[in-house]
Parts: sequence; C-alpha cells; structure tokens
Amino acid sequence: MRLKISAIHASCLALTVLAAASTAFAQDSAAKPASIRVNPADIHLTTVRDRQAIIVQAVYPDGITRDVTEQVTFTLANSAIVKQEKNVFFPVADGTTEINVEYAGHTIALPVVVKQATADPAISFQQDVMPVLLKAGCNTGSCHGAKLGKDGFRLSLFGYDPQGDYHNLTREISGRRINLALPAESLMITKSTGVVPHTGGGRFKADSEYNATLMRWVESGALNDPGAVPKVVSLEIYPKGAVLNGQGTTQRINVRAKYSDGTDRDVTSLAKFSSSNENSATITQEGTVTAEKRGEAFVMARFDTHTVGTHFIVLPKDLKFAWNDAPAFNYIDESMHKKFKKLRINPSDICSDDQFLRRATLDITGVLPTAEEFQAFMSDSDPKKRDKLVDELLTRKEFVEIWVMKWAELLQIRTTRQVSYKAMLRYYNWLQARIASNVPMDQMVQELLGSNGGTFANAATNYYQNETNTQKVAENVAQVFLGMRIQCTQCHNHPFDRWTMDDYYSFAAFFSQIGRKRGEDPREMIIFNSGGGEVRHPVGNRVMQPKFLGGETPDVKGKDRRVVMAKWLASSDNPYFARNLANIVWAHFLGQGIVNEVDDVRVSNPAVNPELMDALAGHFTEYKYDFKKLVRDICTSRTYQLSTQTNETNASDTVNFSHGSLRRLRAEVLLDTISQVTDTKNKFSGLPMGARAVQIANGNTSTYFLTAFGRAKRESVCACEVKMEPNLSQALHLLNGDTIQSKIASGKLVERLLAEGKTAPQVIEALYIRCLTRKPTAKELASLAAVLAEQKNDKQVLEDVFWALLNSREYVFNH
Amino acid sequence: MARRIVVGRALLAAAAILMAVPAWASSPRLSIILPRGIQRGTEQVVTFSGSSLGDAQEILFYSPGFEVTKLEPNGNTVKVTIKVATDCRPGEHVAQVRCASGISDYRTFFVDPFPAVAEKEPNSNFDAPQPITLGVTVGGVVQNEDVDYYVLDAKKGQRISAEVFGMRLGNTLFDPYVAILDSKRFELSSADDTPLVLQDSVASVVAPADGKYYIEVRESAYGGNGSSRYRLHVGTFPRPTAVYPAGGKLGEEVEVRFLGDPAGELKQKVKLPATTTPDFGLFATDAGGIPPSPNPFRLFEYGNAFEVEPNEAVATATPVQLPLAFNGIIEKKGDVDCFKFSAKKGQVFEVECYARRVRSALDPVMNLYYANGKSIAGNDDSRGPDSYFRFSVPADGEYVVRVTDHLGRGGSDFVYRIEFQAVKPRLTLGIPRVERYGQYRQTIYVARGNKFATLITASRANFGGELVLEGKDLPAGITMHAENMPSNLNSMPVVFEAAADAPLSGKLIDFTARHADPKQNIVGGFANSADFIRGAPGQSIYKRKAVNRLAIAVVEELPFTLEIIEPKVPIVRNGSMQLKIVVHRKEGFKGAINVQLPFRPPGLGAASSVNIPADKNEVLYPLSANGGAQIKKWRIYAIGSSNVKGAAWVSSQLATLEIAAPYVTFAVQRASCEQGEEAQIYCKLNHAAAFDGMATVKLLGLPPKVATTDIQFNKDTKELTFILKTEKDTKPGKYNNVFCQLIITQNGESIVSRAGGTQLQIDKPLPPPPGQPVVKATPKPMPKVAAGQPKPAPPKPPKPLTRLQKLRLAAKQRAEAKATARETQETGGGSK
Repeated sequence: MRLKISAIHASCLALTVLAAASTAFAQDSAAKPASIRVNPADIHLTTVRDRQAIIVQAVYPDGITRDVTEQVTFTLANSAIVKQEKNVFFPVADGTTEINVEYAGHTIALPVVVKQATADPAISFQQDVMPVLLKAGCNTGSCHGAKLGKDGFRLSLFGYDPQGDYHNLTREISGRRINLALPAESLMITKSTGVVPHTGGGRFKADSEYNATLMRWVESGALNDPGAVPKVVSLEIYPKGAVLNGQGTTQRINVRAKYSDGTDRDVTSLAKFSSSNENSATITQEGTVTAEKRGEAFVMARFDTHTVGTHFIVLPKDLKFAWNDAPAFNYIDESMHKKFKKLRINPSDICSDDQFLRRATLDITGVLPTAEEFQAFMSDSDPKKRDKLVDELLTRKEFVEIWVMKWAELLQIRTTRQVSYKAMLRYYNWLQARIASNVPMDQMVQELLGSNGGTFANAATNYYQNETNTQKVAENVAQVFLGMRIQCTQCHNHPFDRWTMDDYYSFAAFFSQIGRKRGEDPREMIIFNSGGGEVRHPVGNRVMQPKFLGGETPDVKGKDRRVVMAKWLASSDNPYFARNLANIVWAHFLGQGIVNEVDDVRVSNPAVNPELMDALAGHFTEYKYDFKKLVRDICTSRTYQLSTQTNETNASDTVNFSHGSLRRLRAEVLLDTISQVTDTKNKFSGLPMGARAVQIANGNTSTYFLTAFGRAKRESVCACEVKMEPNLSQALHLLNGDTIQSKIASGKLVERLLAEGKTAPQVIEALYIRCLTRKPTAKELASLAAVLAEQKNDKQVLEDVFWALLNSREYVFNH
Repeated sequence: MARRIVVGRALLAAAAILMAVPAWASSPRLSIILPRGIQRGTEQVVTFSGSSLGDAQEILFYSPGFEVTKLEPNGNTVKVTIKVATDCRPGEHVAQVRCASGISDYRTFFVDPFPAVAEKEPNSNFDAPQPITLGVTVGGVVQNEDVDYYVLDAKKGQRISAEVFGMRLGNTLFDPYVAILDSKRFELSSADDTPLVLQDSVASVVAPADGKYYIEVRESAYGGNGSSRYRLHVGTFPRPTAVYPAGGKLGEEVEVRFLGDPAGELKQKVKLPATTTPDFGLFATDAGGIPPSPNPFRLFEYGNAFEVEPNEAVATATPVQLPLAFNGIIEKKGDVDCFKFSAKKGQVFEVECYARRVRSALDPVMNLYYANGKSIAGNDDSRGPDSYFRFSVPADGEYVVRVTDHLGRGGSDFVYRIEFQAVKPRLTLGIPRVERYGQYRQTIYVARGNKFATLITASRANFGGELVLEGKDLPAGITMHAENMPSNLNSMPVVFEAAADAPLSGKLIDFTARHADPKQNIVGGFANSADFIRGAPGQSIYKRKAVNRLAIAVVEELPFTLEIIEPKVPIVRNGSMQLKIVVHRKEGFKGAINVQLPFRPPGLGAASSVNIPADKNEVLYPLSANGGAQIKKWRIYAIGSSNVKGAAWVSSQLATLEIAAPYVTFAVQRASCEQGEEAQIYCKLNHAAAFDGMATVKLLGLPPKVATTDIQFNKDTKELTFILKTEKDTKPGKYNNVFCQLIITQNGESIVSRAGGTQLQIDKPLPPPPGQPVVKATPKPMPKVAAGQPKPAPPKPPKPLTRLQKLRLAAKQRAEAKATARETQETGGGSK
C-alpha cells in the first residue's frame, strides 16, 4: 500500500513539472506537416484494364499522420499517357511520364510507366475469377470451402486447388453452374448476385466490378488458363504505418500485388482486410481504417496466398504527453523507449532493490534469495550491484537446471509406451550436458535434429522416437525451433500467414527418410537415414522436393536430409531461429513474448516491438547463440527492472512491457521455494531425497501439487503445456492441502529460530525475509505484535504467520 | 466399460490362481539357485529354491565338472553341496532337480574364477566405499536408486578389470552400469551396455599409478529392487571385447587374437573341439588370470579366410575360395569390406553374417554383387541385428559380398565372419509349452507301472517327409510308444510307459528323430528354450536359456491309471462322439481327475478338458469332427491329473480313433409356411456307404411351437419328407439353423452326424388386398391351396412346391385376383 501511494505521488509531480512543454507539443499537430508520403512511390500500368490508386499521408512533427489524399493537387505532366479520376490513374497510351503531387508546400514527383495501353487480355480464371471468389467469401470454411462443400457445391478452402475448383465449377452439373448459352443464367452469377435464393445471400451487386469479371469470363467461354499463370511474388500494403489523432479519424489503405512476370496490379478491391484490434481500429472491406479507442492495431490485407500488415496507433484527440526521460540501460531500452514515445507512454520507475533481488533470483535460478544474500545485497552500496547480482546468478547450477527443464518441455522428454525410462533419462542427460557446458544453441539444435544412432548410444535420437509421424515431426520442429504453427497448411493454405500447402509438404519432405528399427535391446530404437521415402502433395500426388520454410530448395541428393535441414535451421541463414529462441528467453523473464504466444509467430501476429525483436535476434546471433549473454542483456535492462507500479500513461498497457508484470511462480519453482523456505526435502522418483522439482527428468513424474499448479506433461510441444492459470484446487491445496502445513510442521523452522534465542519480532522479520525478501513494514509488525500479545503460544502464532506468508499473493507471484 | 474389464481381469487372475495352485503345489518347481555363483575348485553349499522340492533325489547338470556330495531337501528348498572341478568352465551352467515325484524347471547358475565376497551396505557413498581386493567376486544387490562403491589398491601398470553379471543372471530386468574411478572421482573406464555382454557391462583399465581405485555399480537408470542381484568380478584378468577370427574349423588348431583389452592385444593358439559344442567360447588367459566369461566362438565345418585391406570396393575385393568363412574387422568409421569368390550355377548357399551373434559391436549390413558391381541381394537384420540371405547362384562366375556397419560406425573390435554353407536339412524336436512363459511339463516323468504322454513337435527345415522317433538311451524300465509322424503334421502324441519295477532314476538324454527313409540320413534332436526375464515394451524377452537335452525320469507310483475305451465305430465328418474314458483307481484313492485330450487330429474338436468327479470312474469326452477332418485311423491319448501330494500326471494308452466319411448325406430343401399352417421339409438322400438296419433322422434347430416327428429309414431310402406343424402364435421369421441329425447304429454304438441343414421361413398371413371387400372373402384371396393339401395319410405325398414356386404361384393368383376386382369395379361404376 505504502509503495503504491508513493508511486502515484511521484508521477503527479512529474506531470506538473512538464505540463508547459506538453501543451506546446500538442498544438504542433495542427500546424504544417513535416513531410508527406505518397504511396505507392511509382505507377506501372499494363493493359487497358489496369489502374492504380494513390494515397497521400501527411506526417506532422509530433508523429501524427493524416490522410490528405482528398486535399492534394495532382498535376499530370502528360495527359496523353495517363488519365486521372480523383486519386486513381488509368492508362491512355504507352510511354513514361510523371505526376506531381503537392500538399502544404511539399511536392513529390511520381514516375509513371504505361505499357500495352490498348491490350485487353482475356479474363484469367486464376488471376481474375479466383480472387473474386476469395473476396466474396465463397471458398471460406463456413461456405463452399467446407470439407464437403455447401449445398452440393465445393470449392477448395481459400483456393488451394485452382484446378479442382475449375473442374467443380465447369464440369460438375454441366450447364447449370456455368451456362455458356445464357451466361447471365449461370448459377455462379445468379447465386452470387442474389437473383435466386442462395444460403449465403447476395455476395455482390449485379452492376459491380466483381460481377462484370465473372460475366465476362463466362461469356468468353469460361476457359481455363492456358499454360502457366504468373504467380504473385509479393504484396505491398500502404501506408507503412499511421498514427491517428482521435476517434473517428480515417485512413484509407492501398494494396498492390507484384507478379512473377514483372507486372503489378492495384488489388485493393480484391484484398480481404482485417484488423488485429477492432477496439482501436476498424477497417472496411473497401480499405478504410477508422480510429476507435486508444491503442494499437495491426491492419492486414490478404490477397492470393499472401498476407501483409501495417501498424496503426490510435491516440486520444490532441493528447498531451511529456516523455519522462527514462534512461536506457542498454539496447533493449532504446528500442523500448522509441516505441513508448510513439505510443505516448512513460515507462514505470525501476523497482526497489529487494524486489529486484527476489525477481532476478527467482527468474534466473528458480529459488528464493537466502537471508544472507538479502543482507549482503541490501547493504551493498555499489551502483553496479544489480549487474553484479545477475552475473553471479548466471554462474549457478540452478540457472542451468531451469533451462534444462524448459528445453525438456520443448523436446518432450518423458516416458511413453515407446520411450523407456532408460532412454528418457539418457535423453535428459544429453540435454543437461549440452546446457551445462554452454554448448551454443545452434550446435545443440543441429546435433539434435541431425542425430542418427541408437536411442541409448546417441540419446539425441530420442527426438525421433518420441514422434514417428513424418508430418507431426515437421510440425513440431517448426513450432519449437521456428515458433510457427504450420498445422493448418496440411490441409489448406494458411489463411493468416504466408505458408502454403507446398511449403508444408516441402518442409515435411526433410523428415521423410527417417529410418527406424528396433535395437538389439528391445527398449532401444535405432534412428538412421534410410535414404528413401518421399512426401507427396495431396493435390496431384506430386513428390515434394525438400525446401526450407521461407528459404531455398537445397541439394539433398545423397545426403541426410535432416542434416541439411538442421544446418540451415540452426543458423543465421534462417531468419526465424535466433528470433524464436530470443523470444522464448524474453518470455521467460518478462512473462510474455515480444511475439505472444512464443510459438505462434505469423504475419498476422506481429511482434509488439519489431525493432527490439530484431535487436535481440541480432545480438543472439552475434553472441554465437550463447544464450547466457542474452539473459544477461535482458536482466540488466531497465525494462526488466521496471516496477509493477504503473503511472497514468501506462496503466492500461498490457503488451508493451512499460511496467513490470505480476507472474505466478510456475509449479516446480513454487514447490521448490516452499521446500526451501520451510527447510524441508522432497522425494521424487528417480531422484535422491532433497532433489528439486525443477530437476525431475521425466515429464510423467508428478505429484498432486505439481499437477494442480500446471506442470507440463510434455505431451505436446505447445507452449501452453505449462499452465499458469489459477484454479480452485490450487487455492484449496495451498490453504488446506498437506504441502504447506506439513512442511511448516516437519521443517521445524520456527522452533529452531526460537531455540536460537530470537525474539518473536526477530522471527517475524526472518520469516518475511525468507518468504518475501523484504522486512515487514511497521504497520505489519504492529498488527502482528497485537496478535502475539493476545495469544500465549508464540510458536503457534509465528507458525501461523509463516503459513499466512506462504499463502499470500505476494509469495505466490513474482513481482 | 473400463470397470467391467478390470473386474473381468480380476476374475481371470483369480481363475488362474485357482488353476495354478494345485499344479504348483505338486510338481516340483525351481525358481532360483542361490548364491548365483560358485567358485571353481571349491566345495560349497548352494540352495535350490522353488516349491515341492522335499523329495529331491538328484541334481541334473547339463555340463560336466560338478559333483554333488550332499543333498538336503527341506520342503520348498534343497541344500546341495557341490564340488566344482578346478578346470570347470567359468560362466553360465544349467541344472535342474529330479525328485521322487517329478522333475523341476531348469535354471542357471554360474561358476566363478574367484572367491566370493558379499556386498555390505552402507556402501552407497563414494566417500565410504566397501574395501575389496583384486581377484574377488562380489555378490550384491542394487536397491531402488542404489549405488554401490568398492575400493581396492592397485599398483601402477596393473590391469584392473571389472565385469558385472546382471541381466545374464536371469533374475529380473536389471541393467547394470559399472565404472572404474580414480581417487579424484575421474572415470577411467565405464560402461552401461557392453556389446560383448549385451545389457551387462565390463570396464577395464591399466592402473596409471599406485593407489586406490573405485568400482561403482548401479542400475543404468538408477532403478533396482530386491531381486536386482549382480555378481561383480574384479581382478587383473584380461577382458578383451572381441576375438579374431571369431570362429574356426572343428577339430583344428587356430591362432586367435583377442582385441580390446587395455593392456593390448593377446595372441593364443587354441585346439578346437571335434564336434559341435553348445555355448562354445574362448577364454583369453594370461598372467592376470582368466575372465569370468568367454568370448563366443563359432565352430564351423570349414576353415577361415581373412580380409586384406584395402578392400573397400568391388574392384579391390579380397579374393577367397568357397566353401569358407570370411573373417574381417570393420576397423574405422565408414569402413567397407568386400570379398570376391567364384561359384557355379545351381549352387545354393546359406550366407550368414555373424557379428552380434558372436557379441561384436558391429551391426552388419551384407550385400551381394556380380563382379561388375550389379546388385543381387542385400540384408540388414534378418538374424536380429545380424544379416542373412540365401544365394542361388544364377551363373558360373565371380561374385562379391560386401559388409559394412548399418550406421557407418567402425572400431578395432568390430569383428565379423561370413559363413557360406550349402543348404542342409535341419530337424529340431520340442515339447510345446503349457505355460506361456514357464517350463511346466516340458520334461518326461513317468510313474512306475503307469504311463505319461506328451506332444512332440518337429520343425523341419529344407526337407519334408515322415519322421521316426528314436527313443534311444531311455532310463531303465521306460518304453516309448509312438507312431511315425506323417509329413503333413508337425506334432504327434508319444506315450512313455514305466514298468512297475522300474528303478526310480532319471537323466538328461539326447532325444532324437530321423527321417523314415534311412537313405535320407536326416537326424535331429530335442531343443528347448526357457524365458527368464521379460519386460516392456510388450512382453519382450531379455534373457532366455536354451538347452538341447531332455530330462526324463521314473517317479513314484500313482494311485490311478487312465484308459480310453476304444470306440467300435468311427467318428464321421460333421459328426460327433462321446469318447469314454475310464479311471482305474487303486484301493482308497478318491481324488477328482481332470482329463485332457492334448492331441487333436486335423479337423477334430473337443472340449479343453473334462472332469471325473471323486465318486465316478468314467467320463464321456465330447468330440466333434468338422467337414474337412482328415480321414484316417488316428492314435490319440488322454492325460489326466489329480492331486496326489500335489498334481500328478498320468496318461492313457495310445488308442485308435477313426475319422471316416459320412455314410449318407442329405440334400434338404428350404421350406416356408404361414403361422398356423403346415410346412414340409423335403430331403433327398445320397448314400456313400451301406449300413445295416434302420437309421434315425431327427430334425433339429426348429423354433418353439413347431412340431415334427423323427423318421426311420434304411440304406435303400432315397427321399423323405418332414411334416412340420406350426401354431397361430409361432414366432414368424427365418430360421437358418434347421438341420438333420442322423443316428446310425453299428456294433451297438451310435454314429451321430449332422446330415444337412436348411432354412425354415414362417410368415405372418398377408392382409387381404386393398379395395377388396373383406367380409365377402369366402374364396380365399391368398393361395393356401398348394401347401395345405397333403395329409400325412397318403403314403407318398406329392412333391411339395419349392419356396420360389410358391412365390410365383402367389404372384400369379394375386394378378388374377386384381383383374377380377377391376372387372367388378368397372361394372359397378357403370351402374352408378
């Protein structure tokens, strides 16, 4: 309570001091823009059907942006080449020219190239018709994209199988879906315009451009595309970001696709739009973003198999804000502060020494600081003592054990019907040896994924005994080492990410030649490169060449495919590896990932701070994947040290790490600390008496306590295996269960402290330091003194105090 | 559901216990021999533990070197004083107990080269180890999460070898780990699984300095329990991990190199035995002593050829001559060895690669090529990790065989040999198990003046034909009764009979069979394998022990004998029989007897067992023959057990049971009728063999409320008809299981068979056709006529209509009725 008051006090003070400056700041936004952005920066028009819309954004000195497309003056250098209709430009004749864009004194020249200005190619099924079906929602899972189709008509989900769709449209129920004699009578036309009853209703108007495309295609014979169709190679979304000033402000979005034949196309009308946070920004299917409440939103456009997004910040209208000049301790804080400034958020103050000691010790080693450590740290006057503490904690063996446990979860180390206890233990020991000797992560992962041999002789091979299904192995590798869930793309192209079925099966092909045979010992399995076996694409049954996710198609002839894959995966050639591991480490110390969940990296779930993500990944690579150094960076950053007390500007922030977060201790750490403070020992199967829960090798070894508090069973690679949600059985177990009460009784700590001659208030202080890493407040001492005075039995009261401390939220949470 | 299954399992378990109790209480069983090892050249007391061993009379050893000087049976144990010869082979040996009432299971025990010391807890801390000296065998136990430490003094340059027997002891799934550490806790040598000894382990090191050395023993995954016994041999003995070559020609002297010993390679000249010896191995011996277990060594009928490096490619293959064994070592990572040989078209070879079977670390992959490098065959794991294929030489010419490790590994002790041998007939005899994992009744013990029988199985490889059991060398007073085993069968009944005055004795014999054609010269012997340790995954067998001799004994007389009363009639195909089995009880014997028929000729079915209660002396054993039962005069036997101071087993004589073709078969027509009507079932007879007098045929499988009478007929009857009376409330439906049972009497006994089956359909009467005035339906609209007419009175009823004919008739009549109805309607309409 005391802390909270003082924090609020401090922030009030800061506000008054800086009030004058912030007023000036706010007024600026109405003034002349600092620059304008014209998007896209050039215009390429090819064929008579092409067009390109231009949007112009004004950027003000305070970072606020405004959509000024309606207000700008366009001047055409040569109207014989291009013509204008509002902000949209159409081809007239072949040639190059320029368009001048002018607003509030800023001028930008826009180069224009027009080719084949009079050519009018036929409507393409894949390039023109399929995008209409996608935009109109025809092939979604709830409509004809369902596995069995809808109302007798089936399309491939999100259009993963264009040839199948063409067949179903034109060859099934011939003369009905497509009526070449009377094109307007085709069910495809009448259903989608709502002329005849349609479960999905009218999808677009008869006079719309969409309908015109379909009509023209049917009229010209509903032909399939001859030969290869140019592929969409990239998708661009404009503007590249926006800071909207106040609710109701709008900003239009423009999307341009680039094709493999070098052409581009304004596909704004064909793209599907969505917003990651409708609370802050909504978007219409025509591409207009409207600002709502304060916050951030990632606005996305999807066309073909590509999804792209742009970052929107919504601020209250003419918000007054003054930066609190928080110092940056290292590069992490620099990236953070940049983002905070954009968001008009001030980070909290740093936490107190005792809080830092408890927080860092728990996070880095999974144990509580001892009374001696508390005294030593608190009395240390070295200004660098926090860094020193982090360095010291990183050398402890408990640090290794925490990370062995975390990796054991990701590698699913546990006994199963296939994996014997001996194989499991060897697997665990393999992992422990790697982490204890600080083997660089890339080396360890390469060794793991490229492993061959017996599950006893080379325990890393247990990775492939655990999971024997080729596709599952591929999915697990992607989820654990790249942080990506590619499961969707087994059946259809990922609707919110860039991955296609081709990517999925090409990646799975790396795992298609894993040979497995029984060892001489029935418990042992031998994993080897069988040199044969392929993965086939379910559409067309074609053999898929192994291809890195988002990377190249390597030469695997005569090689162990897994070795080739592992070499790429755990290297700087793979852009996801370092980012993913850095993110996992970050999430451990800050409670959530920069991409959250850590194993759900996708275009539509962007990093909250991409710059920080890049910086962490960059440093991690630079450190040669020595994650100890990364941990040091994180724990010595100001961001890690922020107090959990919020200020006026960051109170509602839950994702940007602008203040410390409250994190419940994980099951193993909670049990270990309870044993630690009560001076008791645990016995787990396979471990000597007194071993810590963190050291349990087997995912299947558990106790009621650990299960109740959500210890990972290691049945899947999902980050969600560790459950941090509170539930009733946890509360009841702490209150009534045998753990705390019996540990207090069997540890006999209070008895011992009293026997040492300590007075009751001294015992209370010792207990506070043990459990909460702080001394009791005067108020707490006073109220406890009252109870002690009232009761005769000091020991009883003190044990109750002990019990109460262990049951307090302050104990159960890392704060 | 789950709960029900659990209950079911519990019941099963309970049943198993109930069944097992009398058996286990009786026949002697041996579960363990303790201590697990005896030092050779000493006399020691060993306890054989199990059940019902109180009348033990003798220990049967499967190998020489043992003399029993004292036998002290006491209830479920026997204390045996054994004198072990000084030159007795160290390692595993097999023994079983012969009692006055039976023979126990066989179990293993070990002969140690060193004096034994017992483990003394506490020794679980490195800081407080148990002191020992070099040259001892420690008998210890690893409890759960237990670690045992021993300390010894050694001089610089002295070899310290530690070999632990864990899984090999055959007690429980105990996978030991052993390490030799120096006083600073550094591991000088450690092993969890040593290929030489599979899950067991050996460690060996030359002491780098004078000082204390520590031996650590534990379960490899820190498991263990009270049965996790081990024998740790610690000494200065050489402990090579491989011998090269790993085989040689029978009767010849070979020079071998022992590889993998820390003190360096050891060469030795060995004179090989002239005949095949089971479990043959070589012991590397030097000044340091003899190791506790040998390096396995193949005895082969041909000599050795050796690889000459470089031989990595087909072109550089080492040339060798057949028939031979090719020997080599996959010396380093990625090493490949090739051998080139010529062969003639038409030759067929069994090509066996021995590596893991001689306990080499190599997991061989063997490939065969033409001389030009074109592939012919390849194999990885046909013989466990070892490789095998059969090679039929396609043409005269040169061929290349290639060996490498499956994972491309290699090492100085990755020894292998490839044996080329012409395809030969192989014959092995056995006794099928009656316990899934145990040895119960896999020995022969015959009570004086009584009989005992067993099934003998034969597995023939690379030949076919009739076999003759030789039954040589049986104990005095035992005779064997057996017919030849036909070529289409691989098991046969054999009855052993002991004379009333046969002496109580027993022995291990070579029990053999030969091809009935003496020219074939094919002989094979008995083999058995016992499962000692099994565990996950599934019920994998971790330790088994095979023997090749049969234990046979005469035991004390029993108060009952069993006799099959030979039936005077055959059992016919699709027929059944009640086989009479009689027990002859001695005065005062009142036990109930459980009777089984273990031998069932093909196509003959019988209950798994029947019981003769204490107050009865005979039982009828129901038999049935299916339609494909093999027609022949078979020899069968019954075996019975009763509780005579435990379960005692006797058998009947070998009795004749004939399976014959049926005398007459019936073609039975399908029949149908409506409820309350009569149906007829018409049968056409097909006589295959004549019989005397009258036979009876019964119609069985009829639903309730359908009545008929049995019919008598003779050998001249060609057809007959059953009249079936149904009632108004006979349940309608199709009855598919209606059949004729035929009983022919011959020699005063009945031949019962099932002569033909059919279907009976009982329908509900149809409602009158719609639109027809119901009341006026005096002329029945439905065609009852055909079915109704024949009364039993006429001597030969007209041939009844088939179901199809009836349906056709009904349809016709319906059509006519409709036409009539329309006519009436039309006329009626006109009148309006």
